Amino acid sequence: MSQTFSGDSGVAEAVKSSDLHPGTGAAFNADDFEPAVRINRFQGLSRPSLSYWSDAWMRPKKNRKATVSLAMVVFLALFTLVGPFLWRIDPSAQDMARISEGPTFAKTAVVIDEAASWTAPELSGIPAAPTASAENLLAPATLEADGVPSSQAVRLKWAPVTGASAYAVYRSETKPSGKVGTSELGVPIGEVDAGNKVGYEDTFNLERSEYFYSIVPKNGEEASKFTTLRVVLPSTIALSAAQALKSDIKVGETLHLSAHPFGTDYLGRDLLSRLMSGARVSLFIGFFAPLVMIFLGIVIGGAAGYTGGRTDNLLMAFADFVLALPFLLFMILFKIAFGVGAGESGIFPMLVAMVILSWPSSARLVRGQILQLRESEFVMASKLLGARPIYLLFRHLLPNTMGVILVSLTFAIPSAIFTEAFLSFIGMGVAPPTPSWGSMCNDGIQTFLTHPHEFLFPAIFISITVLSFNLLGDGLRDALDPRMRSTS
Amino acid sequence: MNNQNSSTPGSTLPKGILEIRNLKKHFEVSKGSFLHAVDGITLSIGKNEVVGLVGESGCGKSTLGRTLVGLYDKSSGEVVYQGEKLPSRYASSDFKKYSREIQMIFQDPYSSLNPRMTVREIIAEGPMIHKLWKSDEVNEKVGFWLKRVGLSADHMSRYAHEFSGGQRQRIGIARALALEPKVIICDEPISALDVSVQAQVVNLLGELKRTMGLTLLFIAHDLSMVRYVSDRMAVMYLGSMVEVGPANEVYFRPLHPYTQSLIASNPEPDPEKERSRTHTVLKGEIPSPINLKPGCRFAGRCPKAMTVCQSVDPVFREVKPGHSTACHLYA
Repeated sequence: MSQTFSGDSGVAEAVKSSDLHPGTGAAFNADDFEPAVRINRFQGLSRPSLSYWSDAWMRPKKNRKATVSLAMVVFLALFTLVGPFLWRIDPSAQDMARISEGPTFAKTAVVIDEAASWTAPELSGIPAAPTASAENLLAPATLEADGVPSSQAVRLKWAPVTGASAYAVYRSETKPSGKVGTSELGVPIGEVDAGNKVGYEDTFNLERSEYFYSIVPKNGEEASKFTTLRVVLPSTIALSAAQALKSDIKVGETLHLSAHPFGTDYLGRDLLSRLMSGARVSLFIGFFAPLVMIFLGIVIGGAAGYTGGRTDNLLMAFADFVLALPFLLFMILFKIAFGVGAGESGIFPMLVAMVILSWPSSARLVRGQILQLRESEFVMASKLLGARPIYLLFRHLLPNTMGVILVSLTFAIPSAIFTEAFLSFIGMGVAPPTPSWGSMCNDGIQTFLTHPHEFLFPAIFISITVLSFNLLGDGLRDALDPRMRSTS
Repeated sequence: MNNQNSSTPGSTLPKGILEIRNLKKHFEVSKGSFLHAVDGITLSIGKNEVVGLVGESGCGKSTLGRTLVGLYDKSSGEVVYQGEKLPSRYASSDFKKYSREIQMIFQDPYSSLNPRMTVREIIAEGPMIHKLWKSDEVNEKVGFWLKRVGLSADHMSRYAHEFSGGQRQRIGIARALALEPKVIICDEPISALDVSVQAQVVNLLGELKRTMGLTLLFIAHDLSMVRYVSDRMAVMYLGSMVEVGPANEVYFRPLHPYTQSLIASNPEPDPEKERSRTHTVLKGEIPSPINLKPGCRFAGRCPKAMTVCQSVDPVFREVKPGHSTACHLYA
């Protein structure tokens, strides 16, 4: 029976039941054994083809690590390029009143008059000489603040202790509970060296809003008894400092101080704006050095791989020679050769040294790829079609090494950033006052124990940058691998 | 049919479209030691003829193919195309000059297409290099060649990775055909494909040969497939030609002991016959093609080896009309 598929419905015509029984006689004739007419209705259906790069773009979107790292890289770019326009604090402006301050947000301060000079009260009639042994000394009967404490000065006075020859002053950020002579009273910030001198002025780094002062009488050794006073500091600013920020300010008015979300450094400079301008140096070197290096690598590696033979041997021997050169020594030599003295910023010599000493790795990579591709059948086919060497190189060889080149670029970026940071850290890179993340780490590590934020923030930025470029490189490598391309 | 070996190398009379005379290709593996990949091949290919070239892996079939088209420099010997001697070392202008005469179809359909190019770019590459097609007629021409090899014109904007092995091989064929060459060297075009697709590609090549008047050198190691497609069959062993003759003649009445054992190793489709058949397995290893000793190359493994085989090179001579071999048995 002839079954014709109708073009519209695609359903077979109804078959007569009598035709199904061959026993009923001549139900079949020769026409019934003609092949069915095939109507290929789906011929025209064809989806648009994925180009190489659109496919490469679609894959990292499925890779969460790569996506997050790409977002981080975009964020870093915005941080560096747009950040300074939004965060308009001069990275080199020093504020000596706010040195090594931890992260603060919007803060107000009451303007007060300049602190007048103050001398500790000295009582007469009490001998300054020792008269009692240390263990018999009592705690001072009273301890109070003299005047209103401010962030400029805290003035303490206390009742004299009979038989004491001196008093030790301790300051703590938490309420002391323990014994004398241990850290539980806090930091020993001063000592009054006469029994009849019963006052102390503390002007050292008054950053917090609350302190506990303890006075321990002494006679040779410290007594075991002490008196503690809780002092609450209002946020104040001296008139002269306030006038530097706002000229028409008067005593008693409230001044809005700039916030330092990442704190300030040892010269009172804003860390956030320094991180932004430091990123410019770090990322400039991080992008520019690898770009030039990869370009050199493509040229040298491409030449070596394509020509082969003696040229290849010579160029690769030279690459091995360059790889064997000690980096630090050459860094110093370049600085001298460019006439950059100690303490001067040497971004350019650093760039030149990094490019000149690191091209062999990418040249080898490109050479290996070209060498492999040169023998591949599609290059032979193109040669047979009459292609000239330049055409082969730019149409077949280099486009197919692009993936490798791009991946090695994304891996070279973090290593360049890290090298810059390292060189600046050891003082070979940029010099003050130009900030770079490495030199900021170098500054910060000296006060790491007391003010860890100065070191931690640039270090975190270096780590995040290096990590995200590495992850992005991983993702790119997967995305550009033709073997991993999706066929669906 | 032309299959006389050129015992007179100086003869200028062209016998076939492609004359290979005592062609040698030696690779230097280290200083002073050479790998004799192709060692004195003489073969004549007539116009509109299909010559099948068989031999085991590593015998130099592909090297011969690549040397013929100029991808490898010739160590010695000559190749004459339509009476014109081809250069022994191709410059890039030579490739361009001969690219519209001799083309090649490659073995691996996966590595023979650039993964970064669309099918349109791949097929149009040759004609665009030669400026044969105008840019506004590229789509039409590419569509024509795609239909010619059994693909749809819709496929032209796709990339090679979106196709199956058989489809890729068709694209490779279309690329070679787009320049409308007269001779095509098929370097094992079917060995990377599965059997049903092999048949499609072989039938396509046969049809193209008939309609376009192509001359094919069909390199393969599948004996029955070579017998099916070719007019004449040539057998290579370790860089040298052992037997050339009409395909059926070589397949059913082989002269050289190597051809005999090669054909005997081909399984019989009928299980009854296959079971009753006596199997003679070749003993010994293929000698190294580096620094060969004198004597017949097959002597160490030959079941009929004589003392003369160990020391004297056999001469390649016509034994029956149109059927030549290099063996002392027929001297």
